[in-house]
Amino acid sequence: MTIHDNIDEFLGADLHSELSDEEQIALHTHLVECADCRQAHQETKAMNKVLEKKFEDEKPDLAFENRMLAGFRNRVPGRVGFVGRLLFNFVHSRATQLAGVAALLLALVQVGRLITGEHVVQNKSEWASVPAAQSFGPMSGNGRVDDLDLAKRDEGRTKDNRYRALQNAPGSTVAAPAPPMVAGGLDRQAGLVPEFHDAKPAPERKSEEQAVVTSSAIPMAQEPAPGSATTANPAVANRKLIRNANVELEIVNFDQAVQKITAFANEEKGYVATTSSEKQENGKLKGQIVVKVLPENLDRFLQKTRGLGELKNQTLGTEDITKNYFDTEARLKNARVMEQRLIDMLKKKSDDINDLLQVEKELGRVREEIEKMQGDLKFWDSQVQFATVTISLAEKDLEQAAKYLLKERAQLALYTPEVEKVYNDLKSLASAGGGRIQITNAQLDRDNTGRVSARVSMLIDPEESDGVIAKAKGMGRVENFQVQTERVAQGGDEMSEDANTKRDKVALNITISRDEQEQAFQQTSLRIRTAAVDEKAKKLRELAEKQNGRVRSSSFRRDPEGREYANVTLRVPMKNYTALMQSLDSLGKVEDVSVQRQDRSGQTDEASAPADLQIQVYSQGNIVSSDTGLIATLRRTIGQSAAAIMWSLRMIGVAIAFLAPWIVAIVVAVWIVRKIRRK
Amino acid sequence: MMDANEREVYRAAIHGDREAFEMIIRTQSRPLFAIAYGILQNREEAEDAVQDALIKAWKSRWRVRDPEKFPAWLCMIVRHRARDVFRKRRPVPIIREIRETSETETRDTATLDHELHSALSALPELHRAALSLRYFEEMDYATIENRLGLTNGSLRGILGRALASMRKQLKPALASEQP
Repeated sequence: MTIHDNIDEFLGADLHSELSDEEQIALHTHLVECADCRQAHQETKAMNKVLEKKFEDEKPDLAFENRMLAGFRNRVPGRVGFVGRLLFNFVHSRATQLAGVAALLLALVQVGRLITGEHVVQNKSEWASVPAAQSFGPMSGNGRVDDLDLAKRDEGRTKDNRYRALQNAPGSTVAAPAPPMVAGGLDRQAGLVPEFHDAKPAPERKSEEQAVVTSSAIPMAQEPAPGSATTANPAVANRKLIRNANVELEIVNFDQAVQKITAFANEEKGYVATTSSEKQENGKLKGQIVVKVLPENLDRFLQKTRGLGELKNQTLGTEDITKNYFDTEARLKNARVMEQRLIDMLKKKSDDINDLLQVEKELGRVREEIEKMQGDLKFWDSQVQFATVTISLAEKDLEQAAKYLLKERAQLALYTPEVEKVYNDLKSLASAGGGRIQITNAQLDRDNTGRVSARVSMLIDPEESDGVIAKAKGMGRVENFQVQTERVAQGGDEMSEDANTKRDKVALNITISRDEQEQAFQQTSLRIRTAAVDEKAKKLRELAEKQNGRVRSSSFRRDPEGREYANVTLRVPMKNYTALMQSLDSLGKVEDVSVQRQDRSGQTDEASAPADLQIQVYSQGNIVSSDTGLIATLRRTIGQSAAAIMWSLRMIGVAIAFLAPWIVAIVVAVWIVRKIRRK
Repeated sequence: MMDANEREVYRAAIHGDREAFEMIIRTQSRPLFAIAYGILQNREEAEDAVQDALIKAWKSRWRVRDPEKFPAWLCMIVRHRARDVFRKRRPVPIIREIRETSETETRDTATLDHELHSALSALPELHRAALSLRYFEEMDYATIENRLGLTNGSLRGILGRALASMRKQLKPALASEQP
């Protein structure tokens, strides 16, 4: 590197006195020699001067720093408090950030696993648990059972794998995929079993057991739900399927249908398992046949059966027991191996009688299990081999009625002054009728207010009924009478043209009450103004009695202002009502007449129905009351104004009580805000 | 390189001590201004850029872990800020400013000034920043290198080249001024 080539650099550094001593000497030596560089040196010096001047002009003024500070203070208001600073440092500390990033990553991984449905960690922990199980060392007594469970669990897992393999390759045979895991599991078992004889001290054993339990619990919980896979792939080959069908048919002739079904079953290489039939009241038959046919012929069989009559209902069901079946099969195989091993152990003849007993016990348990599993398999085999068809047969018009019954019910309500007499008359009427009239219920009530009522229920032969009802009606005033006729089908719900109709006994219910209790047919209330109340009230009574009426209640009252009131309640028959009303005009001025009429259905006898009258006879009283006059008015006015003042005072109090907390709160808030801002 | 006292100030500022940060503003805003001016060639804009950069530095002070690197980091923020302003502005302001000044000053100096301006504008931004740090603050090369994040010794070449290129451009103007 020569100075000449880098003359610019050297010149610049020289001007800014950044050259080392040697370099400076070398530069100056070169400048003496080289005219070009000398020229450049001159020019550079001149330019340096210009530059210095230019920058000197542009230098910021003295207040620059203060401006910066002021700007900073304006734009970053407020001091960061101690807590704020602590929080700031915490949030921005490296450890916090690392933890945050780690948490985020973990969350992402979890979300990913959730989405893809993978179980990466689960497999790892499963494998981790296997060596743990192997390293348990000598086991005895109770420890063995846990060990067996563990082996079984492993077995189950391999079977799961096998099952999955089966689903992935639908064409493959069941027995073919025998993964090495099975052999591994058995080996492990074989390695453990001979060690059963070594007894271990109790406490140690206990801790090991716990280890087994905890290690086996983790993978169990993470086992994927096997049910979700069963419906995924409909590979029918190698599947164990139980098929069954329910058919409901309506046919014309039951026996013919049974014969045909039997024939069909034979054609399809099946058989009739059970037949049942039932005869209805109207002579029709219904029943059920259970047929077993080969599953592959099921559809054809159903097709034929459907031709027999009208199809009411059909269900076809398939139950997939493939998984259960193979599970049980594998478990059975396993249990057999176990059984053999236990037998071998017995043959070895240990000295310890306890151990022998344990082995015997275990052997019994295993054998029991084997038998149960064999039974299950056999049952499933039989179910799979034949499909079950349940045919429900019913002849046409099964629901036709066999006969009809005409039921008649009558309700009679009577009003009479003498309840007891009518009641006894009715009873004697029934006894006179002999067996054709039966009293089913008779009741006479008298309560402590003197009200009397009676109820009689009777059953009457159809021929007698009209006569009896007419007689009963004559015993009092009929308030209402109802007859209800019902035709009841027997032996079925549907219409039948040829079924005959029979008349049943008539049920008659009679209610007897005293006419006092009868509600008035018409209610009238009116006022009569007159000067002599007492006298006019007396006259009113006389008038009422003349018109066949009865006074039910009366009262008399005189108020402080000298007004007199007499209230009279009357009851007259309807036919005399108009006459009475006309005669009332003679008593005084009739005012405020109001009439309320109740038109009841079933009212048979309007003329003798009762009408109620409420009459108030009153006088005008004194003109000036004690409440009027100067002093009374003054007293009232002062009292009212005092009350008004008290009321407003109370309202002011309420308003203050309501507003005060808010005002206090607002003032405090403003104070706090100001204080903060001043800081 | 940095004495313990200075270091303590920077550390406190990073941890949110306002007074320490204000102290930094007092001591460091001139070099920062030099950088901004170098890039923008305009005092008002440079001042605004420094102001913005200081606010931003306060708000994101936690990004700096090492107090040693705080000044260089400040310079970087200013550079980024100035560059943003530079990119956003239209080329009009410089020309207008020059026309305004040209009325008051003599024709010759105006020409020289104009030439100087355009020569500076032709330089790369880094060169301009280095030049203004040198000429405003008379900083030594090592400090400038530290502030601008340059490797040791590279500044000499940069300044040399900058001066040379300016010299070549200004040659006629200089010649006319100094006959």
